[in-house]
Amino acid sequence: MSAGDLGAAALRAALFLSLWGTGAAAYAAWRRDTRALVSARIAAGVGFGLIVVAALSMMFALATHDFSILYIAENNARETPLFYSIIGLWAALEGSILLWTAILAGATAYVAFRGTAAIPRLATTALAVMFGMLTFFLLLITTPAADPFVRLAFAPDNGNGPNPLLQNHPLMALHPPLLYLGYVLTSVPFAYAIASLIIGEGGDRWLVATRRFALVSWALLGVGIVAGAWWSYAVLGWGGYWAWDPVENAAIMPWLTSTAYLHSVMVEEKRRLLRTWNLALVVATFALTILGTFLTRSGVVNSVHSFTQSAIGPLLLGYLVAILVLSMGLLLWRSGRLRDAGAVGAPLSREAIFLFQNVIFMAAMLTVLLGTLYPLIAEAISGAQLSIGGPYFDRVEIPLALALLFLMGVGPQLPWHGASRATLERQFTAPLVSAAIGALAAIATGTTGVAAVLTYALASFVVATVVQEFARGVRARRALHAEGALIAFANLFRRNGRRYGGYVVHLGIVLVALAIATSQARTVDAEKTLAPGETLEIAGYTVRLDTLRAVREPQRDSVVADLEISGNGGSAQLHPALVQYPNSASAVGSPGIGAGVRDDLYTILAAYDQKALSWATIRMRVIPLVSWLWLGGAVVGFGAVIAALPAPRRRAVRQIPVAQAPAPAK
Amino acid sequence: MRTRVVIAAALLAIAAALVLAARPHEATADERVDRITTELRCPVCQGLSVKDSPSETARQMRDLVAERVREGKTDAEIGAEFRAAYGDWVLLSPPITSWSGLVWLAPLAVVGAGFILASARIRGGTPARDAEPTAAQLAALRERVAREEAAEG
Amino acid sequence: MILSRALRIAIVVAMLGLVVTLALAFRRDPHDIRTGTVGKPAPAFTAERLDGTGTLSLSDYTGKVVVVNFFASWCLPCAQENPALVHVYERYRGSDVVMLGVVYQESRDSARSYVKRMGMSWPAIADDDGRVALSYGVFGPPETFFIGPDGVIAGRHIGPIDETKLIAGIEALRREATR
Repeated sequence: MSAGDLGAAALRAALFLSLWGTGAAAYAAWRRDTRALVSARIAAGVGFGLIVVAALSMMFALATHDFSILYIAENNARETPLFYSIIGLWAALEGSILLWTAILAGATAYVAFRGTAAIPRLATTALAVMFGMLTFFLLLITTPAADPFVRLAFAPDNGNGPNPLLQNHPLMALHPPLLYLGYVLTSVPFAYAIASLIIGEGGDRWLVATRRFALVSWALLGVGIVAGAWWSYAVLGWGGYWAWDPVENAAIMPWLTSTAYLHSVMVEEKRRLLRTWNLALVVATFALTILGTFLTRSGVVNSVHSFTQSAIGPLLLGYLVAILVLSMGLLLWRSGRLRDAGAVGAPLSREAIFLFQNVIFMAAMLTVLLGTLYPLIAEAISGAQLSIGGPYFDRVEIPLALALLFLMGVGPQLPWHGASRATLERQFTAPLVSAAIGALAAIATGTTGVAAVLTYALASFVVATVVQEFARGVRARRALHAEGALIAFANLFRRNGRRYGGYVVHLGIVLVALAIATSQARTVDAEKTLAPGETLEIAGYTVRLDTLRAVREPQRDSVVADLEISGNGGSAQLHPALVQYPNSASAVGSPGIGAGVRDDLYTILAAYDQKALSWATIRMRVIPLVSWLWLGGAVVGFGAVIAALPAPRRRAVRQIPVAQAPAPAK
Repeated sequence: MRTRVVIAAALLAIAAALVLAARPHEATADERVDRITTELRCPVCQGLSVKDSPSETARQMRDLVAERVREGKTDAEIGAEFRAAYGDWVLLSPPITSWSGLVWLAPLAVVGAGFILASARIRGGTPARDAEPTAAQLAALRERVAREEAAEG
Repeated sequence: MILSRALRIAIVVAMLGLVVTLALAFRRDPHDIRTGTVGKPAPAFTAERLDGTGTLSLSDYTGKVVVVNFFASWCLPCAQENPALVHVYERYRGSDVVMLGVVYQESRDSARSYVKRMGMSWPAIADDDGRVALSYGVFGPPETFFIGPDGVIAGRHIGPIDETKLIAGIEALRREATR
């Protein structure tokens, strides 16, 4: 039995187990039957194992170039290096769905074992929902819709090889798995929310149980998006990191609603408000991940990711419709039970700020949705073909992002229930001064444009609020526990990881905002045709073309320009190239990037003399602070880890008995 | 009192900085070319602007835009020239004056509607049960405690 | 929060709209871009002939049916459609139908050797700065434009064209002319 046969059989067995699991879990929840739950657990565990076996079989078949499998014949070749062969698991549609299914099976197994042990009835119902979703995806990969193990009648000698853009850079190992983890893990809070609606409990248990899942999926999605931006920057070779491509939009929409959710969850935990809204947010986040997959894979929009089109489109659309109908139906049915324990009282309170922040996140998400779908709508209605691209999204989203930056500084500084004037003065004096300094420094360094100056002012504002919070926290710990400053600082994270980890995340976001504002406002570029030995000047740098040479490798031919760059106190050698893969119609540009803390030097080989290699057209971009984007992403991830870690067990605190209420006077 | 002065000064400084940042300046020829090519879609790429695209077609378009800028044509005229050849598709954002210009209103509408809904939630609804007691309630409670203490003697 | 009736209806309608839009989207092919110049007067041009025998203008051919074909040697479908172009050229040689070739994003030398290799005997012009292609709204070779005797672009074909379509386009314009 070959690896392909093993994989295909494993998937079909897993499908059967998933169907069994759906029924067993539903029955166990309905009848509170322990034996049914046990059988559901076994189905989850064994099913997960089988799907992992299938994924590993595919990787093995890729590594050994088994071209009798159609997927491998289309996405792999003998010359493909081992690393890119193995990660070819997610090079195209069928393999990607297999990866998605594997992650979903893992999440299902987790709910089956850890989840049901904690909250039996709720988690078991959620398990049934998870099994239902897993069954759908298993159906996709065991039917012609997206079966990765389809065989060819007779195997070709060599395959087509992966799409050139997917074997150019090791980041391909990171971006899809991170993104898929983020996507798929949103299904756990969703399943719990649906379960909570089905069994009709109006409380917050579903939310508390899935809080960490929500945080982890948010962090993975966010880091996955930054990894995608980095890939776009390092591989696609146009010098930018975000193009508002439909597929990029598809990833950021669930991230926006997920961020809103992380904050409004705190309002529900603290004040038991916004119950229906939180349920709606979880449903929206999950539905947007399915919409995103649909847009990426169905071929209805023209985008960077339109590598394959397939019959999977209508199936995903049907799945999306089913989810929306089920969720909306349950929400409308049960809305009577979801009463809030009061109202948001004061406009200048933390809960009110979170509410405003949610409004802006929703507006941001809805405008991205509208902008992405509008060309489709317009063409369906009037047949007109028009584009909505960068200029629209930039103009609309930047003000919203600035408003969010502002709220990010204000929110944590306001107490719950409302702030007095004295509180406001105490909290905001230093940050406002800091903002003023930031704004004036921006003007002094020659920044123009309201958006850029406002970004610097707000960044200073937020940093000052975070520093203030840390300072106060350290001071408080030193007073209460007599700890040294450094230990107090470390203990802030240990004892209150959620809060201080959150502050670290906010600092990461500030870094990202600064990176975007500066790189957008101050990037300069120049293009010139050079003969070897000639130079190009830009922004204080001198770029000299040393040599232009052809390079042959087993899987590709390239023409490489060797550039010597000097200036501003440093030097670099960069090698932009144009790479031709055998089965590709046109060459793929590979940029030469010199990353720096301040400036990135981005070089592109745009064209060259095909006959004698006597000239090359070199394009050079100097992009300031773009490295802070990747750094900011890492800081956000790091802060999320701190926030997600469980708190150490508290030492017992001496209980002071609560005074009994006096008997009522007669 | 001093803090209020400091806060006022800080706000004033920020406002001044923003006003300075917003002052219009005459765009150079290069800046005009950048501005125009940012709004044009490269016909042979996946949604990239003519400014960003490294393709040959985009380079030829950039040269053409630069020549038209040198000839003194306005942004609208240059845009119209490409629209005549490639259709509305080549514009990366819908002109405000067309039907599609309504998409520019959408974000404002959503934010506005959202704020109205949110503000309604903040003012209305039953007062929070776990709010702090008011001064009158505190006084009544104190009085009751005093009465009961006196009664117990 | 109790969802008011109006809000519920609004949300359901919005979801419905979203789903219908996406379903309708299946009908169209995102790579099919209909744009610009069809039905409008053909953009004028004056360009150097590839064989070095001087310049050529579109206005030289007013009153005739003109077929303009954008090509390049690095374009595989161009080589595929070439025999059809050759046949049609032979068929209408000497009549009121004119065929013109325009070089697309290529050096004159390699274009010349391509023209000789493929036996293209109709006039070919150079378009070094791409202005002609840009004015016609060309996305990429091969593209073929049909210009009537009135100077208006009557039709445009993206991708390799076959003999039947070429003849059909030409004959339609000739009938228009004699009416």
